[in-house]
Amino acid sequence: MNDLAETTSAPIVSARGLRKQFGGREILHGLDFDIPAGRIYGLVGHNGAGKTTTLNAILGLTSYEGTVRVLGEDPYAKRAQLMENVAFISDVASLPRFLRVRELFALLTNIHPNFDQQKARGFLEGTDVRMDARIKNLSKGMIAQLHLAVVMAINARLLVLDEPTLGLDITYRKRFYRRLLEDYMTEERTLLITTHQVDEIEFMLSDIMFIRDGELVLHMQMETVSGKYAQVLVRPADVEAARAHKPIYEETRFGQTAMVFDGVDRDTLAAFGEVSTPTLSDLFVALMQREPK
Amino acid sequence: MKSLTALIKREYLEHRGAFVYAPAVILVILAVILFAGAGLGRFNPPNVEHTGSIGIVSGAKGFEFGFLGLSAMWMFYLLVTLFFYFADAFSADSRHNAMLFWKSMPQSDFKILASKMLAGFTIFPALILGALILSSVIVFIAIVAMLGTVPGLVASDPAAFLASAANVLSFDVGYLVLALLWYAPFFAWVGLLSTLFRRWSIPLAFLIPGLVGLAENLLFRNIFSAPDAGFVLSFLRERMSFALNREDIMAALISERTFDTVGLYGRLLGQIDWAQLVGGVGVAFVLVYLASEYRRRYVAT
Repeated sequence: MNDLAETTSAPIVSARGLRKQFGGREILHGLDFDIPAGRIYGLVGHNGAGKTTTLNAILGLTSYEGTVRVLGEDPYAKRAQLMENVAFISDVASLPRFLRVRELFALLTNIHPNFDQQKARGFLEGTDVRMDARIKNLSKGMIAQLHLAVVMAINARLLVLDEPTLGLDITYRKRFYRRLLEDYMTEERTLLITTHQVDEIEFMLSDIMFIRDGELVLHMQMETVSGKYAQVLVRPADVEAARAHKPIYEETRFGQTAMVFDGVDRDTLAAFGEVSTPTLSDLFVALMQREPK
Repeated sequence: MKSLTALIKREYLEHRGAFVYAPAVILVILAVILFAGAGLGRFNPPNVEHTGSIGIVSGAKGFEFGFLGLSAMWMFYLLVTLFFYFADAFSADSRHNAMLFWKSMPQSDFKILASKMLAGFTIFPALILGALILSSVIVFIAIVAMLGTVPGLVASDPAAFLASAANVLSFDVGYLVLALLWYAPFFAWVGLLSTLFRRWSIPLAFLIPGLVGLAENLLFRNIFSAPDAGFVLSFLRERMSFALNREDIMAALISERTFDTVGLYGRLLGQIDWAQLVGGVGVAFVLVYLASEYRRRYVAT
């Protein structure tokens, strides 16, 4: 196997027994996962589930127990070197406010060896962000566009986005993800995204991870989700019969009972009502219940 | 090197208010006061009485006197402003979560803090020296305007003015470099506290040594043969002062000859405790390293 093959086949991110404690309380309980190259991962969980702590461990922003490797390196020990090939947005409001846009780009040209100023300017074409504008005077949506332009202009192998559209209106959110996907299609990248608005990123994900109370409760490819999980709008007369197949979640919507099943044959379920693949938000609600019904 | 230069430029962009805009305002105020005073005849008889106690003073000597006074003023401004700069700059990246952005850059925490130290020791002193030179031009104009109107002030040829300016400025540059190196551990100390405690760094920079000194005086005073006020406070008092003897300065000022830069340098270099200076720079390096390790390990937002 040549070096290139080894590079492309090795996971971009690898975690084994990832644990993290804050003030004596364990936040992450030994996570094990690999993120292969070229995938778009969604990391979804409630507030306080451990998403940001997991990302901070991956980005070398916090210490941890266990083993984490990003591009084969320990991110906590080698954060600065790793950032040449890893770009992240942890908070779209984090751009330095005292700079003008052109000053920011000029600085980045000298600070980041993989930043392409022309590319960043290209991403801003068609937006309201002007090169002479002070960042502190930009709207929240414009800052998000600028920050996305910055990270997309960095030729990074891993792009990590932690709640990148928090607080933005729907127009900006959709534009943000469309640009992100366009960029992904033209570059060889791996994306790792966390967000509460799972429906908005569902269309672009190749893999999904659900984290609950510091543990991964789901980690699979999106195409596998439809084979494993099924949602049925159960006819009233068949509710008891459907329950016999042990749904992992059940709720009543406008008089109809919706059930989510894990690993039950779709042909069997079709006898109880209309079968569909649950959306990520339905699956999220189903799996994130602390005590499955 | 390119990235370090860029990081120093970032410091300039973030903190130029204290080192460009404020000095510019001070220069304008200085010029207005001087020229308004001249316009109102404050330097003319009978407002200025020639007592005869200082005899005849050449314009170049008067300029020297003014230049040195301004040097003292601008150096005091620089040292105080640098103290506040380090108290702010070492934690400034935490404002508005900007730390997350800077941590996404391929630059180590030590390099970023080192760039702040280097900015404080290079570009900002250079800017204040620029302000000093501009203010010396103002003084020069004022002195020339006063020639022939102020009793005892007589004209000098342009070469004498230039020689005075060059002598005082070259002394200022050397004095400033040595003073910055001498005070480096104090700047690094408040920088470390800023990394740890953010805006509380300024009171803590004085409170912590004060409490240590108090503890020494109350708890250990009779155990060792300590000097007055104890080892800690005595050491700090000595370490805080970096200046020539008053007699040396006065001798250079009242001398009828041009400002004796070489002679003053000789006396200055002879008075410096070089072991303290080198040790202090080493302590500053260690403090900045400790601050960078704290920032790397614990400061994420």
